[in-house]
Amino acid sequence: MAEISEAHDSDSSKSTDNASEAPTQPESEPEFNPKLMRKTKPGLKRLFLTFSVLFSFLLGLQFLWKSVEIYRSPLPFREIDSLSTQLGSDHLIFPLHFHALFVGFDSDPDRLRLSILSEITKLTSQNPKCSHNYTLSVTVDSGSHCLHSPTTSPHSCSYQCGSITAIDFDQNDDVAIDERLVPVFGGKTNEYSVVVVKGESERAVVGKNRRAWVVVGSGREVEIAVVKVAEVLVKVFVNGGREEGSIRNEFMPVGADGRIVLSFNLLNADPRDWVYDWDFRKIDNNLLAPMIEALGPVANISVESQVLYHTPKASFSYWDQQLQSYVFSTKDLPFFVNSNEWHLDTSIAAGGRSKILQFVVYVPSAKECPLLLQLPNGEISNTNGFISPMWGGVIVWNPQGCLKDDNKPTARRTIPMQDLENMFEVFTGQFRQLFGFKSVNIYAGASGVWNLLPSERGFTEWELDVLSRQHTCFNLHSCASTLGSLSRLVQSLPRMIIMDEIGKQVKFSLEAAKLAQSNASNGVYESSAASSRQARSLAEDAFFHPSIMSVSYYSFEHCFAVYSL
Amino acid sequence: MATFINFKALVQLLLLPCLLLCSSIAYNSSSVKATMHTNNWAVLVCTSRFWFNYRHMANTLSLYRTVKRLGIPDERIILMLADDMACNTRNKYPAQVFNNENHRLNLYGDNVEVDYRGYEVTVENFLRVLTGRHETAVPRSKRLLSDEGSHILLYMTGHGGDEFLKFQDSEELQSHDLADAVKQMKEKHRFKELLIMVDTCQAATLFNQLQSPGVLAIGSSMKGENSYSHHLDSDVGVSVVDRFTYYTLAFFERLNIYDNASLSSLFSSYNPSTLMSTAYYRRDLYQRRLEEVPVTNFFGSVMETIHTDAAYKALSRKISDRSESQISLDQSIHREERRMLININVCDEIHDVSTEGQEDDSKCPWSAFYRKMQKIENVDSLVNYGLVAMLPFLVFSTWLFH
Repeated sequence: MAEISEAHDSDSSKSTDNASEAPTQPESEPEFNPKLMRKTKPGLKRLFLTFSVLFSFLLGLQFLWKSVEIYRSPLPFREIDSLSTQLGSDHLIFPLHFHALFVGFDSDPDRLRLSILSEITKLTSQNPKCSHNYTLSVTVDSGSHCLHSPTTSPHSCSYQCGSITAIDFDQNDDVAIDERLVPVFGGKTNEYSVVVVKGESERAVVGKNRRAWVVVGSGREVEIAVVKVAEVLVKVFVNGGREEGSIRNEFMPVGADGRIVLSFNLLNADPRDWVYDWDFRKIDNNLLAPMIEALGPVANISVESQVLYHTPKASFSYWDQQLQSYVFSTKDLPFFVNSNEWHLDTSIAAGGRSKILQFVVYVPSAKECPLLLQLPNGEISNTNGFISPMWGGVIVWNPQGCLKDDNKPTARRTIPMQDLENMFEVFTGQFRQLFGFKSVNIYAGASGVWNLLPSERGFTEWELDVLSRQHTCFNLHSCASTLGSLSRLVQSLPRMIIMDEIGKQVKFSLEAAKLAQSNASNGVYESSAASSRQARSLAEDAFFHPSIMSVSYYSFEHCFAVYSL
Repeated sequence: MATFINFKALVQLLLLPCLLLCSSIAYNSSSVKATMHTNNWAVLVCTSRFWFNYRHMANTLSLYRTVKRLGIPDERIILMLADDMACNTRNKYPAQVFNNENHRLNLYGDNVEVDYRGYEVTVENFLRVLTGRHETAVPRSKRLLSDEGSHILLYMTGHGGDEFLKFQDSEELQSHDLADAVKQMKEKHRFKELLIMVDTCQAATLFNQLQSPGVLAIGSSMKGENSYSHHLDSDVGVSVVDRFTYYTLAFFERLNIYDNASLSSLFSSYNPSTLMSTAYYRRDLYQRRLEEVPVTNFFGSVMETIHTDAAYKALSRKISDRSESQISLDQSIHREERRMLININVCDEIHDVSTEGQEDDSKCPWSAFYRKMQKIENVDSLVNYGLVAMLPFLVFSTWLFH
């Protein structure tokens, strides 16, 4: 650059010299330095050079852009939205088939069918979330011939005319009657049957296997029968004996990952008086295992047990002279559980999103023995137990005669097997209560009392159907809302990294939800419950993935804020 | 012109209350089915460390003691403390923390279970506790396992300012972070009602950005005001309690678990002249009337109980039939094998679905190329190779045109 300026200076000095002498003569051109100056205009070469630099910059820019790109696994937003709208508008519809069999009547089946249908529509509540699609077929067996309505229904053809008579229902053994009815009807999962017969003693029983029967006395049999049939179909078989159609959230004790941990605790309030132990393994193998297997589609259940010592309760009891025992009332129940001394939640196996249900057997100290629960109407409870929804249940067990063994007070005694069995029957009742069913085996409806036969597995087939349907409904809605929240969250944070794992979980969750929906519309409740549980747990895993923390990602303003003062 | 503007303003004036009415009707009709209140949780956070912030830890421990006394168990309390006071070398009373100069109560005495201590008290952990997004290995005692029937008490104390709260002298929690976390909690139904109590300077600004329904918030001071400590303990050498917390504790010392004093009596017990600041509470997001809400709804324990009417009697034939334990042993082994088989099948299923997803893309060649590109795991090395490859090109072009 210095050379050019010097040349320029010499040039200017020369021109001034020339100017001072005689401006008229045309001067020879200034000295041409080919190294520094050029004669021709810049042409293609410079253009090419400029473009090559520009091109390399643009090429580099692509790599730069790629290197600072935030990895976001592509989530199927449209499918998530379509799942939400599908569940919202279409409502999840469960198909159900009802079959009513009238034995010993001669009424017209079509008329009966219409009247039963009208009663059913009267009783059906408007459940916005999940509805049911009923089909009803009626068969009238008047001894000599059978009439069906509708005549071409495939379901009613499975019943052979004359295979049931009123004599079968004369005996009082309901279980035997239930067994007797097994080969008569088919065994499909979404068919429910009611048998109406005439007899002397009026009885209404719901069996273990999706069958119920009514024995009506003489008189206005048909009208009563129609009302009772409609009631058992809607209130018992569809709603499970509850008032409203859907379960409230506090009776859905299944954890977000589809697991429940049942924690059985034997609490010795004061081990200086007596120390009790129990043979839990036998109970687990014999009584709990069938129940856990029955609930397999609804929840993945595991069982733990422990024995604790020095666990007094937090509420007080008073001595009742009449009953010769210590009494605590239902008002004390909320304060019974002494969570400061009862260290119940020590499960290592339970994951972070499982639900733990505590079942507590409380053995009182000698100072408070026997300890009985008094109900508000003055009676003494015959189970001595209570539940708290979403927490578990407590039973108070008093040692036989409250006898203290002063010779060996700390000898470990075992709870007798008979008492243990009784206790576990109460536990089964409490477990049913936690799922929203009643622990008594009676349904008191508007038209009379129905006797519900119990099952060895803790839940009858139709109760398991009710659970499967309602948990499918709940799980699918929960899954859809979780995925919706996730998609909204992800779209609101454009600079957040979304890992592949989240994308996979969302994909599998949507597949499971689709499978659950198709199974539900085909009437296969168990597998739809299992798929819906998987869909919900995957959606929860995706939403609660630990990498989705907005505080870990910078906002767009930070790109400029770093340059400000 | 003026009449036109007036008319427009009039129309807007008439429209606004109609809109409000419609929105309120719509809101009321949407919240039809209320869930039962089943349990109470408490999250107590002390955001300061160092010896001169003794009073913040005493605040939090006092509230911890109150809440435990009124019935909330340790398994439902998340306590986050820096925990460097009791065993501090400057503590004249080792392993003892007091909140009053009369030293009547040792807050660190027995049964204190701190869930997050020391350097674990960070904004990230706090937000993880609230939103529930933990790593899989985090134990249950460190998680907020609330559900849609829970009432949560969130108490925070420390140093704060306009729309922020200082955490451990190194980071800050902003009001929009807190509002965002509460919004996510509400979406996932992690609480039924939430009571936020903040005892810092300018505390009321921390919940300016809250919008979720069911939240009640009270702060010890308003914007521009400081919250002061109550008194100095000349023996220990530092202030031992803050005014807001001191008067809160004075209110609760009179209660036991059976009482039903209401929240409005708690809030009206704060006197601005003794607090030397205005305790401001925000109730526009909270539907219930404060006179009807007992304080034990948040500070005590509640257990909805239902009596068990009868036992379920179908099981009586079970055990007496099976007298041989051998059979039961075989059955249990068989059952466990079956469980293992089921697990293996499930794993295989998931594996199959994932491989299936990959094969679908092989139809289109462009997608095959794209897949290959995606398979390149180390993008950084690719970028480096690209940049390095450009260098000879640059050298070549400069040499050519030199």
